[in-house]
Amino acid sequence: MKNSIAYLLLFALLTIGVSCSKDDGGTVTPEILVVAFENPSLSFDALDDQKQINLVFSSTPIESGIVTIAYTTDNTTYGDAEDFTTTPSGASGEVVVAITAASNTASFTFNKLKNALEGTTKSVTFSISSISIPDAVSNGNTQLQVSFTETAAIAGSIAPEVGGPNEGNQVYVDLSSLSQTAADRASWELGFYSGDEFRVTLNGSIFMAAAKIDATDIDAVTAMDVETLQPQVAVGTFDPDNMAFVDGVDGGLINTAIAEISATDAENNVYLVNLGSEVGTDTPSEGSVDISDDPRGWKKIRILRSGSDYVLQYADLDDTSHTEVTIPKVAGYHFNYFSFATNNIVPVQPESDKWDMNFTVFTNEISGFGSYGYSDFIVTNSLSNVAAYQVETASTAYADFVAANVDEASFTTSQRAIGSGWRNGGGPGTLPSIKDEVFYILKDADSNIYKIRFTALVDESGVRGNPEFEFVLL
Amino acid sequence: MRPQILLFTLLLPFLMLAQEGENKKDSILLNKLDEVVVTGQINKKSVDKSVFEVKVIKKETIERLAGNTLADVLNQSLNISIQPNPSTGKSSVQLFGLDGQYFKILVDNIPLINDEGLGNNTDLTQINLDDIEQIEIVEGSMGVQYGSNAVSGIINIITKKGSDHKWEITPYIQEETIGGEYGFFDKGRHIQSLKIGHQLAKNWYVNTGVTHNDFTGYSNGQLGQQHSLNDGKRGFEWLPKQQYSGKVLLRYATQNFQAFYRLEYFDETIERYDSIVRENYNSATQTTNPTATDEIFTSTRLYHHANFAGQAFGQINYDISASYQQQKRNIEQYNYRINLREKFDVNKQEYESRKGIYSRGTFTNFFTTDKFDFQLGYELSNIKGYSSALAGSFDGDNIERRLEAYDVFATAEIPIGKKLHIRPGTRLMLSSHFNAQAAHSLSARYVLKNGYLLRAVVGTSPRNPNYDELFTYFVDINHDLRGNSDVKPERGFSTFLHLKKSFFSSDLSWELSSKISAWYLKVDDRIELTIVNPSPLAFQYNNIDLFKTWGTSFTHNFSYNNLQLNLGLSLSGQSKVLKSQETYNDDFLYAFDVNSSVAYSMPKINTIISLSYKFNGPNYQFQLNTDGDESSFIRTKQEGYGWADASLKKTFMNKKLHFTLGVRNLFNVTRIKNQTIGGEIHSSPNNGLLIGYGRSSFIKLLYNLNI
Repeated sequence: MKNSIAYLLLFALLTIGVSCSKDDGGTVTPEILVVAFENPSLSFDALDDQKQINLVFSSTPIESGIVTIAYTTDNTTYGDAEDFTTTPSGASGEVVVAITAASNTASFTFNKLKNALEGTTKSVTFSISSISIPDAVSNGNTQLQVSFTETAAIAGSIAPEVGGPNEGNQVYVDLSSLSQTAADRASWELGFYSGDEFRVTLNGSIFMAAAKIDATDIDAVTAMDVETLQPQVAVGTFDPDNMAFVDGVDGGLINTAIAEISATDAENNVYLVNLGSEVGTDTPSEGSVDISDDPRGWKKIRILRSGSDYVLQYADLDDTSHTEVTIPKVAGYHFNYFSFATNNIVPVQPESDKWDMNFTVFTNEISGFGSYGYSDFIVTNSLSNVAAYQVETASTAYADFVAANVDEASFTTSQRAIGSGWRNGGGPGTLPSIKDEVFYILKDADSNIYKIRFTALVDESGVRGNPEFEFVLL
Repeated sequence: MRPQILLFTLLLPFLMLAQEGENKKDSILLNKLDEVVVTGQINKKSVDKSVFEVKVIKKETIERLAGNTLADVLNQSLNISIQPNPSTGKSSVQLFGLDGQYFKILVDNIPLINDEGLGNNTDLTQINLDDIEQIEIVEGSMGVQYGSNAVSGIINIITKKGSDHKWEITPYIQEETIGGEYGFFDKGRHIQSLKIGHQLAKNWYVNTGVTHNDFTGYSNGQLGQQHSLNDGKRGFEWLPKQQYSGKVLLRYATQNFQAFYRLEYFDETIERYDSIVRENYNSATQTTNPTATDEIFTSTRLYHHANFAGQAFGQINYDISASYQQQKRNIEQYNYRINLREKFDVNKQEYESRKGIYSRGTFTNFFTTDKFDFQLGYELSNIKGYSSALAGSFDGDNIERRLEAYDVFATAEIPIGKKLHIRPGTRLMLSSHFNAQAAHSLSARYVLKNGYLLRAVVGTSPRNPNYDELFTYFVDINHDLRGNSDVKPERGFSTFLHLKKSFFSSDLSWELSSKISAWYLKVDDRIELTIVNPSPLAFQYNNIDLFKTWGTSFTHNFSYNNLQLNLGLSLSGQSKVLKSQETYNDDFLYAFDVNSSVAYSMPKINTIISLSYKFNGPNYQFQLNTDGDESSFIRTKQEGYGWADASLKKTFMNKKLHFTLGVRNLFNVTRIKNQTIGGEIHSSPNNGLLIGYGRSSFIKLLYNLNI
């Protein structure tokens, strides 16, 4: 009996020993605050005279302090009557910028007072000289060169504002000017080509589709006539033949769903147009997107030429009369965009040579299954001969890639040169994610060659529609 | 071994001993009287008298395998395969090629709830075996006895309800490696348990137990929670899981009346660290701030069961169970800043749950005759189910539903002559959501000449549609996939034939009992996604397909002095008529299983050594291969694998101290490959079905204090 109790006690001890909860382990890396300029270069065109210069932090500062920024000049002088000033003042030779605890932003303003003369360069180079917060350091973009004339950015990073998981925007990005232009992707339906040909594009970002009807009198076409056609004229039907109803995915004008507009009116048929889907409004689970909502309905249209202009006739399916609008070509732009909702021209795309990439929802093709809607797609400006190709880090690391590595023969001018190749598609049980093992080489309309690496598909919390990338001019 | 030779070997006893049997006494019952089963019986019966064919896994077997949960012991059974899911931590059972939805798990004759169903879809790793007496397995549709979702079979876990001792105090600890990984605190599997049984008074017995089972996860090269690079190495291959299980039983028994109350509490925490790391590279500062989205699942189960059995009106025997059970799985989803070890965006919510009341009662002995047994019974349940939007594609909605079921059933056991017993049965099932269903059964037990025993069992059982089939709503620009609230329960039907015979030496020094079984099982109106509109393509769940399987098995148990040998072979074919697809191939695809075990006891040194081995033969599936416009069906093969467990058990100090040492998964099986036959071979080391985490060893030290 005594023995037994001793054994029981031993067991109790063993059990307590073994069940001691394990230590959570690992040391916490102390967070060092790193401060840098948002971008290493900034340039003014002749029209700008003021720009905000942002500082960025590696993490949200937990205490307040100041950053002291020194500058050197090249053909420039500080002063109200001279070339430039800053706010807060940098008259002393240093600009002091405050860091506020719990705030992620800090900036100062650069005022350009005198333009550079034609053929000369003027610039100011800022550099972070000290930070008052203990252990804080400057790393990365420790210097910023502000150029008084338009010059291609030497490097930078951009976070296109696609609009979160509904991806409501099409964002046009220009690398050389470090700029982005966003447009509501549901703000337009038809784009009228402004170049030599008479071509009309559909808004694939809201999954529009169009089919030619064997009729030239728009008022005679009824809903009954198109009843059997309607189910096929859509995106995502898994029918390979439905590619005929959407624009060619490579961005060439030859394969638009609507045939070239003929000078002979009798050759311009009526088209049945599926207006696609509204932009999604739900907040999907983290890491997913909700890009489509209710169907936007149908229209019948017919497009004619009038001199160098387009004439658009449109109506609801059962209407016996139609609306007619004249849409001119517009110099300097690829397309002139039209909205049925406003019955008017709407601005969407920047000037044809002012953008390189468009972050957008896209009607793509899955070979053998027809059209398929893609989120997080990147269209390159192929009509302006922007070209790109993919490099695998296995062959050359991003950091090691230099101008000499560029392979001219690899450039492709298809607008899908980047496409969805920068991310993993996800599938049952796995969410889409960024492809770390690839980067891209892009040549813009001015033959500047950049290497581009995508650094985010989602934000810190995993919310989709928050892409980010960095680039370096080679 | 070639199949023919194996077949011959297995049949040999029947061929050889057929004549010899004539001289032997019909003494089947001699040394098996103690093996009593309750599953599907009108009254408790010995295995051999049962009209059903009941397989029993005895306590001793479980002890030899050092089985802590049901998942530890079932992988040696024929026709059953265990499918662990390393990314959810669950293990489900597959029987005759049908998944856990077709299979019911009962504890003391009543279905055990889990977060996805009542009795079905059970996670085997959540069923602790520390207080059980035996496990009874019945194959085939058992709708009359156990209602819906008992299509492929049932497992009935019988708990321990008495003791010969005044006090029984049993603590044990078990330490186990997970594959090759072990550490005293942070790696491996650590189990501690304490059981106390006490005979309170003449008619009162109480026992209670608590078990802690800490599975620290299997990394297999994964680098855990704090890994900060997006190289797929974060997290675990098998998720860490910690379980607590507590039980109390109180029993009162007299000669003609017994009542017990059993309470069980179960708590489980599973941690899932996502392998995808968002590095959040800040290109300006050239720093990263890695984050990941992690999940912690906590499940709790509460089980109350009160049972009363006795005699009313001086004649009618009743056996009534009433139960309240609930199991809830909560999810804590959060984002984690890896460098700062900091959680943010924390979101806690209920993930899935089931809760409700259940009662089952049977009444027998209506007539004062020994000639036949007649049983009337009812089964009713009122279960509230909840499935959050996270657990399925329900268009962002949470699903909440109460399912009420009211069943009545009647069976009779009628002897016809001395040798034949037949047992017809029928059940009517009414429910709040489905049309009235019926289940039928007809079983027969026939004693042939020479001690051959023939059983035939025919039964049906429906399977109720699950939430995915009812409520899925996944519609976007590219997809249109919907559940169907009008789907009907699937209809399962099975028929089994068993021929059994035992052989003895005249001095009873050896015994061989052999069995041949054959079966046919089909499921009609199987629910599958079908194309309801070709353009735009739209899918919906409908009752459309047909599943058929047939097979045969041979099993032999041989004992000679201290040696026990088991050998079994099962051969089965499966066919699927997939009307949901444009084309299908419903040829039968065949597979086989072999299991064997050896146990040798050495009473002089209080030691038993045992070895069990099961070979799961290759499995075939048809896969549609589209090559341009040509489409054809090719067979894909999932490779066969052998699973072996070995152990040595020794008792010390007059059987007070038990020491067990063993190895699981002796052949170090991890992934099994899938490959295509007659086409290109699509297989790589990392794709394939994950079956195990490799060879692991365990020691168990148990102390048994009986006063």
